[in-house]
Amino acid sequence: MNGGARNRAYLTCASLAVCFTVFSFRLSDVQVTKQDYYAELAGRQHIAKLKIYARRGMIEDVHGETLAEDEPVRTIIADATLIGEKDRAEVAALLSGPLGIPESEIIEKLGRQVYSQSAKRNLPAPYIVLKKETPESVFEEINQRIAERNAADEAARKAAPKGAKRPPQNSAVKWRGILSEQTAIRVYPNKDMLCHVIGYMDHTGAGVQGVEKTMDGSLHGTEGYRYIEHDRMGNEIVPYRGDESEAHDGNNVRLTIDMGLQNIVETEIERAVTEYRPVSATIILMNPKTGDILALANRPNYNLNIQAGVPEESRLNRAITDMVEPGSTFKIVATSAALSEKIVQPDTTIFCENGNFLAYKLHDHRAYGDLTVSEILVYSSNIGAAKLAIQLGDQRFYNYVRGFGFGERTGVNLPGEINGKIKVPHLWKKISISRIAMGQEVGVTPLQMATAMCAIANGGTLMMPQIIHEVVDSHGKSVTVYKPQEVRRVATPEAAAAVRAALIQVVGPKGTAPKAQVPGYKAAGKTGTAQKTDESGHYDHETYVVSFVGFLPAQDPAFVALVLLDEAHAEHGKNYGGQVAGPVFARIGEKAARYLGIEPTEPLPPPGRAANVNDNFRD
Amino acid sequence: MSNNNHRRFENAVPIATFATWALIGIFGCGAGLGYVWCKNQLYVTGMEIKKLEVELAQTQRKNEVARVNIAKNSSTLKLKERVASGMTGLVAIPPNRPDRPDRLVIVSGTPEVPGSTGHNDLRPVSNQKLRE
Repeated sequence: MNGGARNRAYLTCASLAVCFTVFSFRLSDVQVTKQDYYAELAGRQHIAKLKIYARRGMIEDVHGETLAEDEPVRTIIADATLIGEKDRAEVAALLSGPLGIPESEIIEKLGRQVYSQSAKRNLPAPYIVLKKETPESVFEEINQRIAERNAADEAARKAAPKGAKRPPQNSAVKWRGILSEQTAIRVYPNKDMLCHVIGYMDHTGAGVQGVEKTMDGSLHGTEGYRYIEHDRMGNEIVPYRGDESEAHDGNNVRLTIDMGLQNIVETEIERAVTEYRPVSATIILMNPKTGDILALANRPNYNLNIQAGVPEESRLNRAITDMVEPGSTFKIVATSAALSEKIVQPDTTIFCENGNFLAYKLHDHRAYGDLTVSEILVYSSNIGAAKLAIQLGDQRFYNYVRGFGFGERTGVNLPGEINGKIKVPHLWKKISISRIAMGQEVGVTPLQMATAMCAIANGGTLMMPQIIHEVVDSHGKSVTVYKPQEVRRVATPEAAAAVRAALIQVVGPKGTAPKAQVPGYKAAGKTGTAQKTDESGHYDHETYVVSFVGFLPAQDPAFVALVLLDEAHAEHGKNYGGQVAGPVFARIGEKAARYLGIEPTEPLPPPGRAANVNDNFRD
Repeated sequence: MSNNNHRRFENAVPIATFATWALIGIFGCGAGLGYVWCKNQLYVTGMEIKKLEVELAQTQRKNEVARVNIAKNSSTLKLKERVASGMTGLVAIPPNRPDRPDRLVIVSGTPEVPGSTGHNDLRPVSNQKLRE
């Protein structure tokens, strides 16, 4: 080999070596250095992460009646990159009927474009929402129509004679541009019943009110995912499934609410609102032995299925967010405190200053002389209650007020509960103790008042109000059972029994609420008529909060019921708890006793005979 | 003679070798075809799985929709509305068509009606099939 040939050979070898080195570097650069980048780039073309939908749990009443449930719906989406300009009219014609949208509107939506950074120009939008919350049946109809159209295209393609223009094989591509996403809407079958307890969710699916909020953690499921590979037609290649995580449906929450009782309460609150047109009204039914809330209704209320345009006042769960002066229903605190401390006995007589207690600028609606402790409750003497509290002393009385749960949240599993208001004794004026004893200068929530009465009804133990009975998983297996919780003992059993005995007489012929009598049963309770304050802070003699809180049967209470109407428009001179709220209690008591199967213990009054009415109802 | 024998041996067909290679070839082809068949089955089964999954999901969704409709139609509010409209879903027995047996039949386990006179007595439970 001569020198020239050898050089050429060397040059060729060197060139090849350089070429291979360059290619090797590039290869290692692509395969090793930028492996992640290119793997991701390739993955984007054929790997997708599918979201697996998890159902939100149901809310049920104590017997399992559904109160809130998810209904599967679809969001219909269009991918305009797969729908050519000439296909838009055909796609719009197919979708217009099932979706109930004009064709022109669909065509306009399909023509939307988005700016592409990489292409530096506007391109057809890949994600266009055509309609949200579409029922499953509509989605199935669309699929059916597409399948029919595809079958027709295929048949036409096969039937076309040789040489004739056939429909293109990829005519199905435009239909792949119609997609859907599974979502759900929350359905409340009972609409406005129990709306303040159930609550609702925001657009993100998070609870914002009621049990939907407080139990969001249990109700909310965990969405799953699956990595899939798909072919160029978008069909999943099942053998190449990747990482996968199972979806876990949310737990179901079972409330203590009994819809049978709730229905009774809703009917009666509606009747009371129609009759008295109050600003607001609240009725609570509780089991005094467990603290379970059996029924709860407020007015104004709203339809849970229609959130738009609901005024904020209607959304308030007034049973826990409204603070009112309780009026005479609060006298059970001073009485049971004095009896528990053994300062007095039920038959101890208290001089009621003939209706005018000058030292404390306090009046009774009648000139009472000596009244026993029981009679103080029966006749609802302000002076008698004040004297019992004065005998206890500021601090001791305050301790009992706090002991009964006033001035702090009850701890019920509902959002937005307020503390109520009770000043500490060193901020009291001289006359404060006399006013607090009769339910003034103190702010309580209706639930606090019902809970306090539960303590009297069950023998002196304050129970925590419960709204959640149980949490069960999606297979019906119990996850958490909410057991009754005793907060503390607030009165001795003897004192509670004595107060109960007095409260039985309140609904008797001599008491302030004969209209609260329940035929066939021995009921007990206390009336309350609280004056409201005007803008200057003075008591207004025209506006009242009337209430009645009682229990049935008095011997072994099955339920405590609180009826409270704010600014009831009653007949002049009859705007009192015993006159307005008492009859509501009686109707609820009668129906609820029948519903719960409580056997009557008292003789039924002859038909058509009204309850004894006296002139002592002014409270 | 010896030449012929030599040629015979020289031109002998190595059947055993051919057979070995043929077997290897057949095995290779079989393995290849088997692999392709298995792979194909994998795809076919995958498609069937996918189809069943889609059907299952559709059925579950239908089930959920049905459950929601049941909840709506069996709710307390719906019952209240039905009672208000007089349509409780109970079919009243017309007064001219009581369930009256021709003769008293004592069904085993049913207590005898006190004071019954026997023939043509109304049974205490209506609309119950008679057992002779």
